[in-house]
Amino acid sequence: MRPLEFEGSGAEYFKIWIVNVLLLICTMGLYYPWAKVRKQRYLYANSTFDGRNFEYHATGKQLFFGYLIAMTCFIIFLILQNISPLSGSIVLLLFFLATPWIIWRSLQFSTRMTSFSNVRLAFNGSLGPAYLNFLLLPFVLLLIVYVIPASAAVTLTMMDDISAAMIGGVVAVLALVVSILGIYFYAYLRKRNTSYVINGYRYGQGVFSVDLETKQYLKIILKTFGLAILSMIVVFAILAAVGSAVGVEDEFSAMQESMQESAKESIEDPDAAPPGPPPISGSFAILIGLVYFFIILVSLIVSAYSLTRQRTYSFANAKLDQNVSFVSTLKARSLAFVMATNFFAIVLTLGLATPWATVRVLRLMLNNTLIDTDVDIDRYISQQQSEQSSLGEQIGDAFDVDIGIGL
Amino acid sequence: MIIHGKWYPPESSAQSVATLSITGDDYSLEIENQRLRAGRLEDISVSDRVGNIERKLVLSDGSVFATDNNDDIDKTFGDRNIIASIIHTVESHTGWVVTALVFTLLFSFSFFKWGVPWVGTTIAHALPQKTNELIATHTLDFLDKSMFKESELSVERQAAISNHFQSTVLPLESLQQDIPFKLHFRKWQVGKESVSNALALPSGDIILTDAFVELSKNQTEIDSVLLHEMGHVVKRHGLEMVIESMLVTTAVVLVVGDASGITDLGAGLGALLVSANYSQSNETESDIYALDLMLKANMDPIAFANILSRMMEREAPSGDSEVVDESKEADSNDENKDDNDKSLLDYLSSHPATAERIARAQRYSQCFRQQQTDCSMSER
Repeated sequence: MRPLEFEGSGAEYFKIWIVNVLLLICTMGLYYPWAKVRKQRYLYANSTFDGRNFEYHATGKQLFFGYLIAMTCFIIFLILQNISPLSGSIVLLLFFLATPWIIWRSLQFSTRMTSFSNVRLAFNGSLGPAYLNFLLLPFVLLLIVYVIPASAAVTLTMMDDISAAMIGGVVAVLALVVSILGIYFYAYLRKRNTSYVINGYRYGQGVFSVDLETKQYLKIILKTFGLAILSMIVVFAILAAVGSAVGVEDEFSAMQESMQESAKESIEDPDAAPPGPPPISGSFAILIGLVYFFIILVSLIVSAYSLTRQRTYSFANAKLDQNVSFVSTLKARSLAFVMATNFFAIVLTLGLATPWATVRVLRLMLNNTLIDTDVDIDRYISQQQSEQSSLGEQIGDAFDVDIGIGL
Repeated sequence: MIIHGKWYPPESSAQSVATLSITGDDYSLEIENQRLRAGRLEDISVSDRVGNIERKLVLSDGSVFATDNNDDIDKTFGDRNIIASIIHTVESHTGWVVTALVFTLLFSFSFFKWGVPWVGTTIAHALPQKTNELIATHTLDFLDKSMFKESELSVERQAAISNHFQSTVLPLESLQQDIPFKLHFRKWQVGKESVSNALALPSGDIILTDAFVELSKNQTEIDSVLLHEMGHVVKRHGLEMVIESMLVTTAVVLVVGDASGITDLGAGLGALLVSANYSQSNETESDIYALDLMLKANMDPIAFANILSRMMEREAPSGDSEVVDESKEADSNDENKDDNDKSLLDYLSSHPATAERIARAQRYSQCFRQQQTDCSMSER
C-alpha cells in the first residue's frame, strides 16, 4: 500500500489563483470557466501515484454555456427569493426535483473530464437509481420524521375520551419509534448513496465496486450522535463556568466581541432598521459570542468525525476489478485541525489564504488515500464515451450541490 | 534537441520511458533507442502551460508524450496559444503577481466600499415604489408572530401619536403621497427586558415599541425618531440592502465559491461584516434626513440627541437598568471611554457609534439656535 501524493505548492497555486481572480474581475465573472480549468489542471496534474498523474481535460469553451445558464438561474433565484418568498420557494422546489439529475450529470461530466495515467475515468450509474437515492428515499425519511408525528398529533386531538397519561404514553412510544426508524433509515440512505456513487465509477475498462452494510453506517451515525452530545455537554459546562466568571469580569478579547457583534447581526431582521442596537447586556453578549465560536468548533469536529469514519469504512470495502484495494488513513482530528485553521486563516486574510487552504485539504486527503502497489496500472484502456454537456455540472457548481459521500 | 519524458499508446495507461528528438521541423520519438514514431512538429498538439505541471503532447496517431521539461517545450513549439502563454508569463513573474495582488485588493476594497452601495442605490431608486412594498409584504406578519406582542399602551395614547404623525410629521415629507406610511404600536420583549426601539419596513409601516414610547419625554423626541425611520423608507434602504447582499453573494460565490464548505462559512462571515458596514452608512443617511427636516420644520434637533442618549443609557450593561437614573454621571463617563475602546467594534456594528450620532444632532441643534435652516455645511 502506498499513498497518493501532492507535488504542487501553495505558493505556486497562489500565483495561478490570484491571476484567475484578477481576470475574473476584469471580465466581470465571464472568465470563470477558464479560471476553473487552470485551477483544476494545476491541482489534478500535481496529484500523483507511482510516477503517474491525474489530468483535467475540460476546456473553458466546454464549460462556458453551462456556466452562463447556471449563473442566470442562480441570479434569477436570488432575485425571486428576495422579492417574493413564495415564487422563491417554488423555484427551490423545482431545484430539488432536479437535484438527482444535477448530481448524475455532475458525476458523469467530472469523471469523464478526468484521466489517470492517460486513461479516462467514467461514471456508469443511471438516472433512475439517482432519483431513488437522492430524492425519493430522502422524501420517505422526511415522511418518517415529520408526517408520522404530525398525523399522530392530529388523531390524538380528534379523540375526545382519552386520559393525559395515555397521551403521554403514546407520545413517548411514538418518539422512540420515530427516532429509531429515522436513524435506521438515514443509515440505510447513506449506504445506498455511497454504493450508488462508488459502484458507478469506472477506470478505463476497470469497474469499481463496493459492498456496504447498513449496520456499519448505523454504528458510525450513533457514535457521531454520541460525540455531538458529549461535546455539547462540555460546551455547556464551559459556558456555565464563563457565565459565572463574566458576572465579575467584563473584559474580553476582541475576537469574541466581534463574533458577538456578528451573532447579534444575524438575529436582526434584515428588513428592519432600528435606530439603536438591540439591548443585549454585556455578559449576555459575551455568552452569545462564545456560543457562536463553539458552534463552529463543535460542528467542525463532529462533521470531521462523521466524514472520516464513513470514508474509512467505504474505502476499506471498495475494490477496483476485485483485485485493487484502497485504504483511508484520514484521522478525524487531523481533518478537524486543518479545517479549523483554514477557516481562521481565510477569515483573517480576508480570503487571500484560500489557495493555501485548498492545497492543505487536498494534500491531507491524498496522503491519506492508500492504494495497492502490486497493481498493474499499465493494462487499462480508455472506453468510448459520448460527449456530454457541462450544464448539470455547472448548475451543481453554482448552487453548491454536495453529493456528500465524503470521497 | 532531445527531450526526456514518458510515452503512452493511444487511450492506454501503459507507460514507457521515451525521448523526443527534434531536428528542425521534424521529430522522432524513441524508446530504448528504437525509433517508434516520426513526423512533423506541426502535427503535434501541445497542452497549455500551467505552473510546472507535465505537458502532454498528442501525436498524430493519438499517442501521448508527457514531459515536465516545460522550458524546452516552450522553446520548441513557441507560443502556440498566445493568451495562455501571456497568462503563464504573468503567473510566473513575482512583479506581475504582486501587481495582480495589489490591483485585486484595491479593486475589492473599492468594489465593496463604493461600487456595491452605488449600484444598490441606483437600482433601488430606479425600481418602482411597488418593489419596495413587495419585499416587505409578509414582514410585519412575521415579526408579529415571532417577536412582537400586542401593545399595552392606552388606545388614547396610540391615537394621539398616530394623529400627530398624520397631521404634523407626514406633511414634512413631500413624497408622502407615494408611500403609504402607517404607524403600529407593539410590545417587544427579549427575556425579561422590554426593548425600546423603532423600526421601519420598506412598505412604509413604522413600528414603535411600548418601551420606546414610555422612554420618550416629549412629542418632538418621538417625531425625530419617526423622521429617522421615514428616512429609511424614503431612501429605500431595505431595497438597497437586498440588492447589495445579492451583489456580495454573487461576487463571493465567484471567487471562493467552489472551495470547501468551510470557506463558505468564512465567506458568509465576511459578507455579514460588509453588509453591516452598509447599514451603518444607511443610519447616518437617515439621521441627516431627519435632522434636515427638523430644521426646516422649526423643531430643535436636540430632541433627537436626547432620545438617543437616553436609549443608549438604557442599554448600558449595568444590570439594574430597569429605570434610567438621570444622575448616573459616573456611568455615562464610563460609556464614553468604552466607545473609544470599541472603535473596531463600531465599524462592525450596524449603527455608528451612538456618541457620534448624538454629536451630530447637537451640531444641528446649534444651527437651529442660530436660526439656520441648512446645517449640511457641518458635514464633511
